[in-house]
Amino acid sequence: MQDQTSPLTLDDIVRLRRKKQRTHFGFYLILIGLVLWSVQATVIDDTDWERIGSLTDVGESVAHFIGIDFGLIPSLLGPTIETFMIACIGTLLGLVICIPAIWFGALNVTPYKPVTYPIARIAMTLSRSIHEIVWALIFVSAVGLGAFAGILAIAARSLGFIAKMSAEAIENIDHKPVEAIRAMGGNNLQVMLYAILPQVLPVILGIVIFEWEINIRRSSVLGLVGAGGLGLVFFRQMNTFNYPGVTTVILAILGLILIGEVVSHYARKAMI
Amino acid sequence: MPEKPQISTLQGDNVHREWSRFKYPQSLINYGILLAILLFFAYSVHYLNIPLERILGMFGRLGDVLANRYYPPDLVYIVDKGYLGAIIETIQMAYLGALFGLLMAIFLGWFAAYNVSPSRRYIYPVARLVAMGCRSVHEMIWAILFVTILGFGLLPGVLALTMFSIGFAGKLFAEEVESIDMGEVEAIRAMGGTHLQIFVFGVFPQVRVAFTGIAIYTWDVAFRAATVVGFVGAGGMGWYLKRNIMQIETERTAAILLSIIVLVVISEFVSAWARSRVSRAK
Amino acid sequence: MAILEVENLRSKYSASGPEILKGISFEVEENDFFAIIGPSGAGKSTLIRCINRLIEPTSGDIRLDGTDMLSLNAKSLRRMRRHIGMIFQEFNLINRMSVMDNVLSGRLGYVGSLRSIFRVFSNSDIQRALELLERVGLQDHIDKRADQLSGGQRQRVGIARALMQEPNLLLLDEPTSALDPKISREVMELIRTMATELKVPVLCNIHDVQLAKEFCNKIIGLQDGNKMFDGPTETLNQNSLDEIYEMEVL
Repeated sequence: MQDQTSPLTLDDIVRLRRKKQRTHFGFYLILIGLVLWSVQATVIDDTDWERIGSLTDVGESVAHFIGIDFGLIPSLLGPTIETFMIACIGTLLGLVICIPAIWFGALNVTPYKPVTYPIARIAMTLSRSIHEIVWALIFVSAVGLGAFAGILAIAARSLGFIAKMSAEAIENIDHKPVEAIRAMGGNNLQVMLYAILPQVLPVILGIVIFEWEINIRRSSVLGLVGAGGLGLVFFRQMNTFNYPGVTTVILAILGLILIGEVVSHYARKAMI
Repeated sequence: MPEKPQISTLQGDNVHREWSRFKYPQSLINYGILLAILLFFAYSVHYLNIPLERILGMFGRLGDVLANRYYPPDLVYIVDKGYLGAIIETIQMAYLGALFGLLMAIFLGWFAAYNVSPSRRYIYPVARLVAMGCRSVHEMIWAILFVTILGFGLLPGVLALTMFSIGFAGKLFAEEVESIDMGEVEAIRAMGGTHLQIFVFGVFPQVRVAFTGIAIYTWDVAFRAATVVGFVGAGGMGWYLKRNIMQIETERTAAILLSIIVLVVISEFVSAWARSRVSRAK
Repeated sequence: MAILEVENLRSKYSASGPEILKGISFEVEENDFFAIIGPSGAGKSTLIRCINRLIEPTSGDIRLDGTDMLSLNAKSLRRMRRHIGMIFQEFNLINRMSVMDNVLSGRLGYVGSLRSIFRVFSNSDIQRALELLERVGLQDHIDKRADQLSGGQRQRVGIARALMQEPNLLLLDEPTSALDPKISREVMELIRTMATELKVPVLCNIHDVQLAKEFCNKIIGLQDGNKMFDGPTETLNQNSLDEIYEMEVL
């Protein structure tokens, strides 16, 4: 069925192109309009512009942060180590409590699919949806202030990611080794040890290292709500208006994250 | 039946062969590292004064506290107009911050990709540094910094989320750009295209779909962060959370936490659905 | 005067690595369909890419229409590249864009950055694109996505795109290696016809000697970075071929 017996002329093609371009342009214009309205309604109306002052005032505020409080550095050592430890133990604990979630959450090994699989998925979603600060608040009210609450918060937050990725890894295994071990008479445990685990452990290790790096970043702020580490120092420096001190703490955090990246880089190389 | 050959007589030689699971020095190093890590953990538990013996008791107390003080959650409070307004604000804060962050992250992803960065000696390292910097600073810290400079309100929240999104999406964008087919880029270079033309015609068409998926992911994570930045003064639901915690209004706190969890879970489902639609529409 | 003059061209991939091109010299005249043949690893691809400096040579001279290519700065190099059309072994089309947009992209060097981003091309550009598409036989496919075409069709889009640049020289990097023999012939025939019509000299890197002998009027043979043969096609005999290809021991 042809509704055109002659090929499109140059004019037709040009017209079609221009029309398409105009529609796209109009669409983007509307989108930008919506965004601008949004900005107006929220940011512009809501902000106390007088308090902010002019651009130079802002510049001055920012300038306060420039500089390092060298006197603070010795007292940073403890909290820095604490933050690092919270990240490490928290990630490890997260891995440990993850094990049932991984088992229930992988379609090919979950014991009773209609019940255990949804439970696992809900646990993973809850874990990932709740911000680490919120977890920290919950655990601080449960076990009191200090590093322990921080560790639990990190563990609870990491469970979701580690379990989800590990369950996927188990779901994606190559079945040929499983077949081979079964064929030579291996039982379920032997299949797990010789066929499944060797494939899955390197992947899980990679996932754990990845999450560990992110957890260093998370641990650095848990102290804001009393869960230990550099966050508390940050909070105190802020409250005493010691802005160079704030910068120093941030640098300490960046240093920790750098260490995490370096370790993670070498660990990855060693695994390959 | 013929006699089965004994392995030791197969070769006929008398060479003594050995194999051991323990390999020197590699195994020593591996076990050494493992031991060091375990010692570190044990030391940490000691250093942080983690009361292992009291753990079980603590969880009992948690159950107590949850049942008595946080239940029932004060649901009336959260359907109040003020709080609903805060929810809208949080959503707007999240998508504005993600939007501006993503726009800048597109360029950052381009500059921070080794294969197509306009200048490998200057722009590339700077872009990588910026991305790392934005990524390493936690969104709460960004929020506190902006609140200090600009006061309370939604603006510091939007800016904090923008910085967060730049770091988050920037790295993902750069990784995506680094995995494109360079043939298309070569063609544009060969015909005399400028860097911008190389990006728009050689790079962007290849990564557009992946970028969309990353954008949706970024919005989802930004929303999660937006719900709590109010805790340090940046507006939205987090502000209500802080107030009620300070006033020890535990039932209201529970209700707010519940609303946060519900909204984030909804946003997670929406974004997961959208991402699967996008990857199918490829 | 020759359109392209290459003198003593040398190239290395890295400062401490081996020399890929060891002093190549030749000239391409206005009506030439010039072939570069040789075994794999001889440096054919490198030589082609040195002409438009996609690979930077370490020393030597390249003069296109009298302009010294190697002394150009980045901006002038871009301007010069507009005049060199390139056709690739793997077609290198923008797969997600339409055939029409791919051909139009040949004008990128001539259109300002901002206009090109919004894909605003002049009517005369669109007219020329349509003519070229008709000449290569793809007028019924202009709105199809490039990755929906067959190999031969894609290479024809590549030809149209290169000719959109109104080039002074066409570089072909093994244009038929990814195509089957019959399509290869058609593509080479098409290139020869259009190049002769538009009076554009062609420098072609090709590994099928039969095709080279059939379509090209001059040939140079490379082996391990050295020029082993340089002359009209008729004078390429079995001896020269043996020298160039140095019968590899399998």
